[in-house]
Amino acid sequence: GPNELRPPRGTPECLKFARQLAGGLQCLMWVAAAICLIAFGIQSGQGDLTSADDLYLAIALIAVVVVTGCFGYYQEFKSTNIIASFKNLQATVIREGHKEQIDADRIVVGDVVEIKGGDRVPADIRILSAQGCKVDNSSLTGESEPQSRSPECTHESPLESRNVAFFSTMCLEGTATGLVINTGDRTIIGRIASLASGVGNEKTPIAVEIEHFVDIIAGLALLFGGTFFTVAMLIGYPFLRAMVFFMAIVVAYVPEGLLATVTVCLSLTAKRLASKNCVVKNLEAVETLGSTSTICSDKTGTLTQNRMTVAHLWFDNQIHAADTTEDQSGQSFDQSSETWRALSRIITLCNRAVFKPGQENVPVAKRDVIGDASETALLKFAEVTVGNVAERRSGCPKLCEVPFTSANKFQVSVHAAGERLLLVLKGAPERVLERCRSVLLKGQELPLDQQWREAFEGAYAELGGRGERVLGERGVLWVQRIPEQLPGDGLCFVGLVSMIDPPRASVPAAVRKCRTAGIRVIMVTGDHPITAKAIAASVGIISEGSETPEDIAARLRLPLEQVDPRQARARVLTGAQLQDMEATALVGALRSHPEIVFARTSPQQKLLIVESCQRLGAIVAVTGDGVNDSPALKKADIGVAMGIAGSDVSKQAADMILLDDNFASIVTGVEQGRLIFDNLKKSIAYTLTKNIPELTPYLVYITASVPLPLGCITILFIELCTDIFPSVSLAYERAESDIMHLKPRNPRRDRLVNEPLAAYSYFQIGAIQSFAGFVDYFVALAQEGWWPPLVLGLRPRWEDIHEQELQDSYGQQWTFAQRLRQQYTCYTVFFISIEMCQIADVLIRKTRRLSLLQQGLLRNHILVIAIVFQVSIGCFLCYCPGMPYIFNFMPIRFQWWLVPMPFGLLILFYDEVRKLGVRRHPGSWWDRELYY
Amino acid sequence: MATLTEKKTCSERMENFRLFVWNPETKQFMGRTFINWVWISLYYVAFYVVMTGLFSLSLYSLMRTLNPYEPDYQDQLKSPGVTLRPDVYGERGLQIYYNMSDNKTWHGFVTTLHTFLSEYTPAAQHHNINCTRDEYFIQDTFNGPNKTKLSCKFTSDMLHNCSGLTDPTFGFPEGKPCLILKMNRIIKFYPGNGTAPKVDCTYVGDDSRPLDVDYYPRNGTFNLHYFPYYGIKAQPTYTNPLVAVKLLNITRNEEFKILCRVIGTGIISDNIHDPYEGKVEFKLKIDD
Repeated sequence: GPNELRPPRGTPECLKFARQLAGGLQCLMWVAAAICLIAFGIQSGQGDLTSADDLYLAIALIAVVVVTGCFGYYQEFKSTNIIASFKNLQATVIREGHKEQIDADRIVVGDVVEIKGGDRVPADIRILSAQGCKVDNSSLTGESEPQSRSPECTHESPLESRNVAFFSTMCLEGTATGLVINTGDRTIIGRIASLASGVGNEKTPIAVEIEHFVDIIAGLALLFGGTFFTVAMLIGYPFLRAMVFFMAIVVAYVPEGLLATVTVCLSLTAKRLASKNCVVKNLEAVETLGSTSTICSDKTGTLTQNRMTVAHLWFDNQIHAADTTEDQSGQSFDQSSETWRALSRIITLCNRAVFKPGQENVPVAKRDVIGDASETALLKFAEVTVGNVAERRSGCPKLCEVPFTSANKFQVSVHAAGERLLLVLKGAPERVLERCRSVLLKGQELPLDQQWREAFEGAYAELGGRGERVLGERGVLWVQRIPEQLPGDGLCFVGLVSMIDPPRASVPAAVRKCRTAGIRVIMVTGDHPITAKAIAASVGIISEGSETPEDIAARLRLPLEQVDPRQARARVLTGAQLQDMEATALVGALRSHPEIVFARTSPQQKLLIVESCQRLGAIVAVTGDGVNDSPALKKADIGVAMGIAGSDVSKQAADMILLDDNFASIVTGVEQGRLIFDNLKKSIAYTLTKNIPELTPYLVYITASVPLPLGCITILFIELCTDIFPSVSLAYERAESDIMHLKPRNPRRDRLVNEPLAAYSYFQIGAIQSFAGFVDYFVALAQEGWWPPLVLGLRPRWEDIHEQELQDSYGQQWTFAQRLRQQYTCYTVFFISIEMCQIADVLIRKTRRLSLLQQGLLRNHILVIAIVFQVSIGCFLCYCPGMPYIFNFMPIRFQWWLVPMPFGLLILFYDEVRKLGVRRHPGSWWDRELYY
Repeated sequence: MATLTEKKTCSERMENFRLFVWNPETKQFMGRTFINWVWISLYYVAFYVVMTGLFSLSLYSLMRTLNPYEPDYQDQLKSPGVTLRPDVYGERGLQIYYNMSDNKTWHGFVTTLHTFLSEYTPAAQHHNINCTRDEYFIQDTFNGPNKTKLSCKFTSDMLHNCSGLTDPTFGFPEGKPCLILKMNRIIKFYPGNGTAPKVDCTYVGDDSRPLDVDYYPRNGTFNLHYFPYYGIKAQPTYTNPLVAVKLLNITRNEEFKILCRVIGTGIISDNIHDPYEGKVEFKLKIDD
């Protein structure tokens, strides 16, 4: 096949759509629609064409299912198409002695390809020859430093060996020719990608919650429907009639608008997050972040800035800290020493990196540089601390140089400085030191004695122990002529410069926030353990005072084997150690060490770590940018990819993308996720409540044989028209307390819909609403001439379409059509009662614990607008001409709007009492039973 | 979510369910201890007692505010419905199909009419007074016994040939059947604005030919002194005035649609949503 990564085989689009139409609730609605159609069919078969209500209802139900299905499908469709596809690569191949430019997908195994700095490696290749070739493997292994490539095989594992360059990695500098050994899906990256696609998509916690609750609702709807079907059959209704009752009860009980509400709430939060640089691919992932209890974070680029920066300098026998902040806002060191001047000269001169032209107005830290990572770091450091590098270089023109190679490990250049020549050298510390005979202290050359050597060793070890690369240290020599053999010796040692990929400024605070929010942060990186530990310590993943087993061993002067690792709070585990561990041992380690860092891990091991965390019951978020992270991203409950540095594969695997690559954005996401969980709870409670006043009319209708108080079409209007906006507006509600100081929710205990929520909504608030509806219903009937005692048991005669002279309580006689209009009036009155009570309901749902007055009654403007909207829709439905015969709404008298209002006030009052009890007596019986 | 989606075996599920029903460790029955169940039940009992009390209170005060004589509103009763006797419904509304020579086919109709008119015998009407003035019988005070108002007599003999007295078969065997029309009662409804409303029957459809009928009482009018109606409490013995229609010249063996409207100011008969408001339509077929 062509040399390209085959996209993971997706589900066919039609199947995806079908799945949207076949959820638990949707199936129930299909059944209800089918019953409607059958009822309509039978009725029209019997020649009764008077009522097409059943047909309308069936159409409405099907429309509801299809529209919500389309909505869900659209959301899913939109999220899967965020990622742009790979761009077509060009590659230079040598075939039959000729160089050719061909599309990278036409490369085959055995081709010889040429790569040069700036190219993407077009396949897995074995290097045949190389000149200073360096590749960036960070997306594959997580190492942020460029790796040099040469023809020698240095390791058995191809990932570690120097002579293999990998598909899709970037060649940074130098040139190389290589033999193609793997193409397409057989490349290392292809294998990782297929490993990722082999990991099944996990269900998000919110999906589990909603499924759990939809199952219950569907079960209850069937139970209710079935019970009343049986009751109706026993009472003696005909079969068809009983089926229609069953259907009506299902329609009344199923919260049709709920799925739309949940989707809209989630997408609102997703939108809010997008404005804070978190793009959510999968809507449900919004909430997952809120329930996250463990974050497995990659190091490079997420916690760190992903650029080498000068961190420390050692001169004058002292360690000086450089400014490593992203915006150069930190403190700088004392620059008055003579030695510093010598050191800065070396940093400036013995450096081949240059800024790309035309960036004078760009801040130094953001300028593009030609040169390797450490030289870039030095160049930028020099530009910031001493000023214009280019000018200083032109003052001391370079006469000759010896470039850095992996063999000599140093770099020398000779510059003209007035009459004299200046020889500057930098390189690996030990190589430099062995060429020095003296050392510079405050501008004076002192002999390099044993004491100095020890001081040097100490500084070297200390800087190295901080995970910093001690690259630079410089010899300087004023010479009269260019020595024949460079660099010569007898140089004067000036100082050490150490570099690190520094943590982002916002990360320590973000990690601390995670801590207070009860979220554990684990670092998983492909980098060296020492670097990993140093970064972990500096961002607070390993907190101050925590010791690893190695630290304990060092403190107690014991061999490492005698230290029980379980005593240590922190631990650094490498990939090699993981390989020797049993899966249970890993779980044990995760359990016993609250602070843990994994270094040198392979993609499979990352996957294993995520699985182990999940086995502990944690909801795991994984951040990463490399291809190597993608299996873990996929396996995680929520995978977070990096928008800038992230590879396409990782973005594909992730559920969420941080556009600014900043770990701190995750914390924002967590906060939003927790807020939306709370608010969804409120929305659902609001939505569920009205199912009872929708259901009770049918129950009373069947058992007490009163004229039908509420029609199915009216119910659909409540569910899908008037009450959607208020329930969505609850998503804008602000948090009741500092949600970032709470532990993450326990997915097995803290459910979205729990028993108190359902019981309180259904049997208390819903009951009050039902009473309100029935009072208004009886008022409307009685004032028009039908007194309650007469109404009970009236149904058979009331609904007899041949009865044109039914007598009311005053002796007046009504035709069927007149009674029907009265029935529609009842529908409308009941509808208005539910609406009035729902206004009270949406207000009480603003808070679960706080008093409404504490939260601010009108603070949520969207909610106020929603209430106004709800009332306007209600008015429109009631008073728009033509409504009676289209949607069965009648223009009702104004005072019937007022009848349910005392019940609304009762709801407000009752809920305030409930909240007061909950606040005053936490943990009490009242709290347990009535707090949801 | 490995922990949440772990597949459970059937026996584990049963075990979980059994633990839910009765957990011997915590002594919980269906997730609650016994005492907790008592408390929660008491709470709900109290809640529903209070709610039912409020509900009853609401209905009680509703009943207190209602006027026993006339309803507060008559929003749906703008115009009276009109009904027909005999009232036999087929698939599409009223149908009067019969065979002149087969008395089984029309015997039912005759019985219906006799039963219907039994309320209009002089004996049944003896509580009511004789009214002679052709104007609204307005009563602002309770002139009748036991705080009631008076009602005017309507006896079946006012229907002359269709009274069932002179012709107990109501003309069915002759192919000239009597049909009786009645207007629904509506409290304080003044039909016709001073002129008595009258019944007018025509063929429906393309037929512009006149329908040959006799109306009883004369002209097919509902006399004004039967209006207004004051409600069942004020006029317990009130009976609706009637108009009989004798169809005289019906072609045999042919189906006709006939529409009878009540004409008078304030009587609406063109409401497409109510086929019985101010009018009644029926199909007629007389075989021989």
